[in-house]
Amino acid sequence: MPRLRALTASFRHQAAIFWAEPQWIVPNIIAPFVLAMVVLMLFREPSPEALLYAVLGGGMMGMWGNTLYASGFSIQSDRWWGTVDAIFAAPSSLIWIIGGRTIWHALIGIINGFFVLVVAVLIFQMPFVVADMPQFLLAFILTLLSLAALGMLFSAAFVLTRSAQVLTNGLEYPIYVGTGSMFPIALLPFWTNPLSLSLAPTWGIDAIRYAALDGYPHGFSAGYWGDLLALGLLSVFYLTVSIWLYKAVDKRARKTANLMRY
Amino acid sequence: MADYVSNPFRVFWSSAVLAKRALFAWLNPAMWATQLFGMSLFQIAFFVYVATFVNNAEVTVEFVAIGNALQSLAIVSIFAVCNITGEEKNQGTIENLLVSPANRFSVFVGRAMFQIVNGIATVVIAFFYAAFIFNVDFSHANLVGLALVILITTFAMTGFGLMLSSLGLFLRTSMIIANVFLFIGLLVCGVNFPVSYLPAYIQPISYAIPMTYGTEAARMAVSGASLGEMSGTLGLEALVGFLVMIAGYLMFRGFEHLARSRGTLDRF
Repeated sequence: MPRLRALTASFRHQAAIFWAEPQWIVPNIIAPFVLAMVVLMLFREPSPEALLYAVLGGGMMGMWGNTLYASGFSIQSDRWWGTVDAIFAAPSSLIWIIGGRTIWHALIGIINGFFVLVVAVLIFQMPFVVADMPQFLLAFILTLLSLAALGMLFSAAFVLTRSAQVLTNGLEYPIYVGTGSMFPIALLPFWTNPLSLSLAPTWGIDAIRYAALDGYPHGFSAGYWGDLLALGLLSVFYLTVSIWLYKAVDKRARKTANLMRY
Repeated sequence: MADYVSNPFRVFWSSAVLAKRALFAWLNPAMWATQLFGMSLFQIAFFVYVATFVNNAEVTVEFVAIGNALQSLAIVSIFAVCNITGEEKNQGTIENLLVSPANRFSVFVGRAMFQIVNGIATVVIAFFYAAFIFNVDFSHANLVGLALVILITTFAMTGFGLMLSSLGLFLRTSMIIANVFLFIGLLVCGVNFPVSYLPAYIQPISYAIPMTYGTEAARMAVSGASLGEMSGTLGLEALVGFLVMIAGYLMFRGFEHLARSRGTLDRF
């Protein structure tokens, strides 16, 4: 129960910070929105399939952008505000505090994702028709959770570095490329495929496309449910590693005593 | 002391040196190098694979790779430069800067100086990727012309970044503006598709941003155009770059006045 209390307190605290300056949602929307628009402009007269491909990719990017910024800036902001040592000194372990923040940002990520979908569809005035809505929503939510798990993994590493902001900016495009957010990963060099397949969102976006597109031609042979299984296993792996990492980071931060340095 | 402060070149130089020292005081050089070598690679890769997938006959891999190689400059010339005023606010130094008698123009252009060097290095590395990883044919390229394009675009876009930076004096943060303009160039500056694809009412915005002329000139240089053939585009780019810098200075003074009168200078 104390863990749950720490989680909900952290969630409410993050919500309060967000509402103090909600304009921060703009940076996380603008990148995926612009990138989806670029892809649609490249298609010239996009077919319904192309439109879905671009807006689904944009939605996924919106969620990733939000998760990445949340994990990157989570501890960095505490450094700037001088609150990081108080967080470490609190009896609740760090993972519950970061966990509460991540859940808040995952919720905002849903808004990000849907905003990109809705605006792109309104601009191109095409009906947003998905082949199987329940499966689409399931894949969408699970992909978001897998992004949050990946964000947790990164945020553990970000605690140790003063350069979290630089890493955050630098990790946007690699994930867009690696997960094949806007194109099939079959286009990437063969040697990069293991890296792509080790990212849970790669499976998530494939599952979303399976659910949204009738006769999706570039899908993995695992199929929709196979995609979700791989996504689930990888997300659990990320969470397990991040729990271990948070403990290691906590120990190291106390030992080196340079947590406040920025 | 008074001589020093009234000499704009000295102020410019000390501001440039200080900005470089301040950057490496918090940024690990290895991390800086990772950013320098990594960011343009993934940006070019993303759009090259998108272009391959879309298979639009007008927009070749070469078109996209050259556009993005030059546009990779934006992370430095727009994002970093735009955040100059915001960072001064964050660190509580903006008031000290603005009450000093030093010339504003020298101080803030000096702050951006290292980013100009950084920007040139970023674009050179990006063109190296375009040639050796994405197989853009440079065999007929006018390399002197390309170097000139990189130089003019970097200065012009830094001027554009400084213009945006002036907003940071008045707003709570310049980070939002920096993020918006970091990406908007991908859509409106002819980086990934010809400007003619855009609706007619957006095209004037494209031609108000120096990058649009830069991408056009860079493609001309890679296809082997002479300096004479490129001079019109480069001249226009330099002119737009000069105009945005003047506009930036005027905006800076205007927003400074506004921020002082409303007491928002240290709000962040």
